[in-house]
Amino acid sequence: MLAGALALTVALAVSGYLFGRRAKLLADLVRLGKPVERFDHVPTRIRNEAEIVLGQRKLLQRLVPGLVHAAIFWGFLVLFPTILIAMIGAVDRDATLPWLGHQGWFALLVDVFAVLVLAGVIAAFAIRKIQRPARFEGSHLGEADLILALIAGIVTTLLLWHAARIALGLNEWPASWSPVSDALSGLFGDDSVTKVLERVFVWAHVLIILSFLAYLPHSKHLHIATAAINVYFGRTGPGGRIEPLRFDVPEEEMRFGAGTVPDLTWKQMFDTFSCTECGRCQDVCPAFATGKELSPKLLIMALRDQVFEEGPALVRGAEGFEPGPLVPNAVTDNVVWDCVTCGACVRECPVSIEHVDHIIDLRRHLVMMDSRFPSESEQMLRDVERASNPWGKPQTERADWGAELGVRVLEPGDPAPEVLYWVGCAASFDERARTAAQSTAKLLAAAGIDFAILGPRESCTGDPARRMGNEYLFQAHAEQNVATLNDAGVTKVVASCPHCFNTLANEYPDFGGSYEVIHHSELLADLVREGRLEPSGGEAAITYHDSCYLARHNDVLEGPRELVQAVGRPIEMERSRKRTFCCGAGGAHMWMEERAGLINEERAREAAATGAETLAVACPFCTVMLDDGVRANGDGLRVADVSTLLAESLDTAGRGQSP
Amino acid sequence: MILVLVEHDAGSIDELSLQALALARALGEPVEAMLVGSAEAAGALGAHGVGTVHVAEDERLAAYAPAAWARCVTDLLERLEPSAVVAAGTNRGNEVLAHVAARLDLPFAANCTQVVAGSPMRLTRVRWGGSLLEEAALHGSPALLSVAPHTVAAATVDGADAPAIESFAPALDDADLLVQVAEHAETVTSGISLAEAKVIVSGGRGVGSAEGFGILEELAELLDAAVGCSRVVTSAGWRPHTDQVGQTGTKVSPDLYIACGISGATQHIAGCKGAKKILAINSDAEAPILASADYAVIGDLTEIVPAITAELRKARES
Amino acid sequence: MRILVCVKRVPLTGGRMVLTADEQALETRHLGFTISPHEECGVEEAVRIIEQHGGETTVLALGPPEAEEQIRETLAIGADRGILLATDGEEWDPHATAAAIVTTIGSEEAAGGAFDLIVFGNESADSGNYQVGIRVAHALGRPVVTGLKGLAIEDGRARCEQEVPGGRDVYLVPLPAVVTVLEGINLPRYPSVPAKLRARQKPVERIEPERPEPRLEKLRLVVPAGQAKQAEILGQGPEAAPAVVGVMRDLGVM
Repeated sequence: MLAGALALTVALAVSGYLFGRRAKLLADLVRLGKPVERFDHVPTRIRNEAEIVLGQRKLLQRLVPGLVHAAIFWGFLVLFPTILIAMIGAVDRDATLPWLGHQGWFALLVDVFAVLVLAGVIAAFAIRKIQRPARFEGSHLGEADLILALIAGIVTTLLLWHAARIALGLNEWPASWSPVSDALSGLFGDDSVTKVLERVFVWAHVLIILSFLAYLPHSKHLHIATAAINVYFGRTGPGGRIEPLRFDVPEEEMRFGAGTVPDLTWKQMFDTFSCTECGRCQDVCPAFATGKELSPKLLIMALRDQVFEEGPALVRGAEGFEPGPLVPNAVTDNVVWDCVTCGACVRECPVSIEHVDHIIDLRRHLVMMDSRFPSESEQMLRDVERASNPWGKPQTERADWGAELGVRVLEPGDPAPEVLYWVGCAASFDERARTAAQSTAKLLAAAGIDFAILGPRESCTGDPARRMGNEYLFQAHAEQNVATLNDAGVTKVVASCPHCFNTLANEYPDFGGSYEVIHHSELLADLVREGRLEPSGGEAAITYHDSCYLARHNDVLEGPRELVQAVGRPIEMERSRKRTFCCGAGGAHMWMEERAGLINEERAREAAATGAETLAVACPFCTVMLDDGVRANGDGLRVADVSTLLAESLDTAGRGQSP
Repeated sequence: MILVLVEHDAGSIDELSLQALALARALGEPVEAMLVGSAEAAGALGAHGVGTVHVAEDERLAAYAPAAWARCVTDLLERLEPSAVVAAGTNRGNEVLAHVAARLDLPFAANCTQVVAGSPMRLTRVRWGGSLLEEAALHGSPALLSVAPHTVAAATVDGADAPAIESFAPALDDADLLVQVAEHAETVTSGISLAEAKVIVSGGRGVGSAEGFGILEELAELLDAAVGCSRVVTSAGWRPHTDQVGQTGTKVSPDLYIACGISGATQHIAGCKGAKKILAINSDAEAPILASADYAVIGDLTEIVPAITAELRKARES
Repeated sequence: MRILVCVKRVPLTGGRMVLTADEQALETRHLGFTISPHEECGVEEAVRIIEQHGGETTVLALGPPEAEEQIRETLAIGADRGILLATDGEEWDPHATAAAIVTTIGSEEAAGGAFDLIVFGNESADSGNYQVGIRVAHALGRPVVTGLKGLAIEDGRARCEQEVPGGRDVYLVPLPAVVTVLEGINLPRYPSVPAKLRARQKPVERIEPERPEPRLEKLRLVVPAGQAKQAEILGQGPEAAPAVVGVMRDLGVM
């Protein structure tokens, strides 16, 4: 027993040292990162922890692999005490954990979950070796195989140890209470060989666990330690909101965005430690799906590799060591610019990695510090800055779309309207997006809503600048617009562009602008429900495309669907609701060269495949991109905003009702 | 008397100088001209109403030197005391008259489209490359003014005699020759230059990318045309600044200017309004360019331009 | 080296010209403003020369108080200090503009030494008078080369390149000199945010010169009639191709 205790102590010490040394490095690396506020909203964080970690909610978004993982994870939780039982049992064959070690029901639980874990591991191998899903492209498959093998080894040695003990009559409770171990015990006789095997199995079990412990922080399996923490510190606010930067800083602190490893926030560092290379993000990324360089998974892995490459020297404070630029050392410029900020990756990630935040911070550095970005976007940035809209058209023409309709333009000093209609630059200046604004104005008037537009005083919300990483330009516009809205006494805003909607609702509060913001599809749906607008209904097949900035970032799902229901026969695409597939214009891609030309065509094809005649949208960017996509594919689908479809339906039904 | 600075090259008078002569004649006084260098082209000026041609001769005038040319003008001014000095609104015309104005501390009105004799002289001149006009009064004598290109038609006078030709030697000093062309480098032009093309196929933001210009180049090749672009395109780095048509780029005067996906900002119109006819291809029926165009096709240029190319080929075969 | 660049604040008019009721100016309410394009390239050129040879770039603007915005933009590109000759918003004719600039240059050079190079845009985007740079050069007794597409400083001399039909003309002038440049001489950089933040701290001196009587006196502005042309719509989409070819045939360009 003494020898056993000594051996265990040595094993623990070695394993503990290896684990601890690595853990210290990781802790030091996290401390290198810039601060970010993630200690607020504790109740929400605890709830996320319960749902995502304990409840495996995000993993279960894909049912089969989710169940496989849940089996292994829940099994791990239940089997945790058996590690201690085994260690005690390794030193003293007849000793066990006080109380729990004597409970027969626990033995049953252990048997059941051990088998569950084994089944999970076998299923995992089947998925990886037979099904071979594409999301594993680029992942370290060998490492995964080793980890799965070690897990299998752990539960197998556990079951065999129990089986040997039952064969030797060492069980405290009826053998039938641990049926699997009991069945296995038939392999062994009550003899000296089994006595030896019983020792072998328990020591093998303990040693596999301890070597796994040492291996853990050096592998991607680190996630079992970091995932729970990463989820706790995940985003709690609206998905579409980006954390603002401060510019009133002294000269030495004029470093914006993430240019090198120490520029990453501690949460971003932690993100790189939490990635298990599962590839769910890669699977849903529209850029990756259309053959671009970007894969969210490979992005995080590349950043992780850079952190580990330079981290030790940085932590040591090595003399004269300068960290290298993340772009292009870890990732290329293309990877940074391919992203459309649709957030599909973030929605999928089971360990709450926030890929979009990484992209935005990388962009911030490239744009604001290095002036290094796609040349075709420079004109847009200059136009937003000088002409106050990304099209560079004179603001004097901003209300032209509504002139014939008699849309009221709010002048300085006018009393605030009940609702301020924020039209957005696209609907003001783009000929295809204009119809939605005209339809919306007609509908609001028909329903008797007191509304007005700002006209020339409405300047770009700054969304394209912010998504490109030009936070400085964005803030200038945010401050200006908030001042305009506050001076006008505006309290309620309806926006027909999801990007404007997102910025007004979620981002302007950071700049002193708090308004009740509603998307036009939801306001119109309310009016229809209240009977203030009476569409005539119809049988035409319509498929609705969810905008990323509505559905995924802001949970606006039902309003537009109610409108489609009211004017036709809805058909859903497979990638719908929060699983929607981007139109390709997000992340300022509306103003980038047509490298994104394939995303919109891909989505247009999916829409056409439903057999619908009309593709309904609720966003001016989606309107333009999907219309381009439909034309490129030659599909003949009509792309129309839900407001336009509703307005047309009213024209055939007769005028709507005012209260 | 009105003195007109006439530019010439290898014996032929510059078209824009002939336009300037037409405007000078509208002032109702006898017109005399000044040439620098050689009298070769002088004879043709009689048909444009010039009574006397003064030729400045000095071997140091072989290469262009703006201050030296201005000296020629001021020497003549002293002697002849014209009521006005007119030049074409070319780079050289504007430059030389500006030098004259500075030297004599007189006001100078560049790029005029109309003048009315009087004291002060009333004139209309061009702003914003032609998108806006200014009516002004010129308080100075002699009046110094240049004529906006392609706003006044050159015209010949019936039954005019050949002009008298007098040469004179300007009193040049070293300072006048400090700024003089020292070298001339010929550039190998691949293709037709924008300034000389009879047809230009031009692209703007609507073309979408550098590669998108492929269909425009194809059409241009078929028409022996030059390819131009708007300022947005050069800012985006899709095409070099030498292709830029506009107020700050090249000002062109082709027979046909085809504007594809160009919205029609004034800066661009300033560059192409010299065209005889403008055809706009745009998806937006409300784009400003339609107010300056003679013809328009509404729709997607990526479909329309290849369709025109195909139609052209078909028409040529038949 | 000491370089002075003169810039002007001009509105971004887009596609339409709208005048104030008194026909004296463009209606600029709700319009954005920028630095006249040739001049922005002039600032970039000066900053590049100073980056190469060392020294200081000063930027000067004559215009309303809001023109400080444009001066700050040039400071973000890399100029070191600015001078605003603040007017009451009334336009100055080129004669008066040049005189005010010459006066300012006089006091500047008395205080800090001669400017090796003074840079102007060839003409301003709005009034297009083509003469301010030349007038200033004459008043200072310095050589002036206009319309540059290329500029290099070597051994106290400026090598100046102009684009002319068929090629380029090269002038070599001794410094100090005056030049006017054209857009296309370079591509102005997109300033970094630290550069913009630093620009806010750089010194901008404000002087309020007296406006003399104009000698090129603006009476009124007129929007030319041709602006409301009605384009003949030949068709929609590719079906219009035959009509287009017909027009080409009529024009004789086929």
